[in-house]
Amino acid sequence: MAQFAGMDTEPEVSRLLVACARQDRNAFQRLYELTSPRLLASLIRLLSNRAAAEDALQDVYVQVWRRAAQFSSDRGSAWVWLIAIARYRAFDLRRRERRPATDGADAIESIAADEEPHESRMALGRGATAALDHCLAALQEQQRRCILLSYQNGMSHAEVAGRLGEPLGSVKSWIRRGLTALRRCLES
Amino acid sequence: MNRNDPDTLDLLAAEFVLGTLGGAARRRFDRARQADPFVGRRVRAWEVRLAGLTFRLEPVTPSPAVWPSIERRIGAAPARRRHGLMAAVAAVAAAAALGLGWFLWQESREPPPQAQALFADEAGRSLWRVELAADGRTVEVSTIGAIEVPEQRSRELWALPPEAAPVSLGLMPASGRIRLALDERQQAAIGLAPNVAVSDEPYGGSPTGAPTGAVLHVAAIARS
Repeated sequence: MAQFAGMDTEPEVSRLLVACARQDRNAFQRLYELTSPRLLASLIRLLSNRAAAEDALQDVYVQVWRRAAQFSSDRGSAWVWLIAIARYRAFDLRRRERRPATDGADAIESIAADEEPHESRMALGRGATAALDHCLAALQEQQRRCILLSYQNGMSHAEVAGRLGEPLGSVKSWIRRGLTALRRCLES
Repeated sequence: MNRNDPDTLDLLAAEFVLGTLGGAARRRFDRARQADPFVGRRVRAWEVRLAGLTFRLEPVTPSPAVWPSIERRIGAAPARRRHGLMAAVAAVAAAAALGLGWFLWQESREPPPQAQALFADEAGRSLWRVELAADGRTVEVSTIGAIEVPEQRSRELWALPPEAAPVSLGLMPASGRIRLALDERQQAAIGLAPNVAVSDEPYGGSPTGAPTGAVLHVAAIARS
């Protein structure tokens, strides 16, 4: 299996995005090759459908090309910027189509909230993701499951509650407490 | 947006990034984030904190057709590529010849689908019903029986146009029903195809745009 880019490619991804702002099409193609498998994985989960995810992926990279100049002035993390564009695009599409997160997501249900990190994360940079892993592991199980289900599958509170068979109020409070604990842990 | 309650503001930012903030509250917060850099920074901080979760998912290489479409949309000339996929077609034809069978499905509904196919297993048990909408732009796939998909594998639906490579229509559900929106290429393929097929693929679907695993089922398309 090919080695997929992790967050440790941040310097190259950032350099490529800055080159895209100068309308460098070769850099854009390289950026696409390097980053699209990660964004597509995220879009497939959020949209529950590969064809729709690949359509959304096109929209995302067209936006990346057009908005690359905004990135170079922002000077944030290039990966975070790309992931945010992809996720918000998926949320928009989902709201427009009123597509529930459970629709068609069943095929991936068994791995919907991976407790165990995937092997591909071996390729990740240590720092940021190691800290996140550590802090996720420190959460209560229900908090962790709710946060992973909603982040990775784009589920609403009600959808998470339905999936786990738990009361809506509990799910809301697990997510809030989990997020608060996560932030505290990441900042410590 | 109340800056005097930083904890609430921060939770709203977190749920905005997570996706659990929805409806009118999400739209309000989105406006606040764009108007107020203080709110924008909170959102950015959560995007950074949670981005690592994206890297827990197994990467999925896009189909080869995606990049040329992007190039077209940004005004670049797409590169031409060819795929030698006849082996997959041959495999499908062989599977069909082995008599995996096909079934027609008739059901009156409004508006009636223009074409349909029914997948069944070797024992004749129905698995999925596939219906092409009257306008030819969407396909609805419904599961009928219990369908077992091994972990880390997906079932992918293909149109098999005559004398051409199979064209992916999307992933099959293991339960429930899904609607797949078809692009022009997919619409053309299913418009011409006498058969559809389901293949066994890595999780997320074929990484190449052509079937990579075994062809599990073939069904004839019945046109109304």
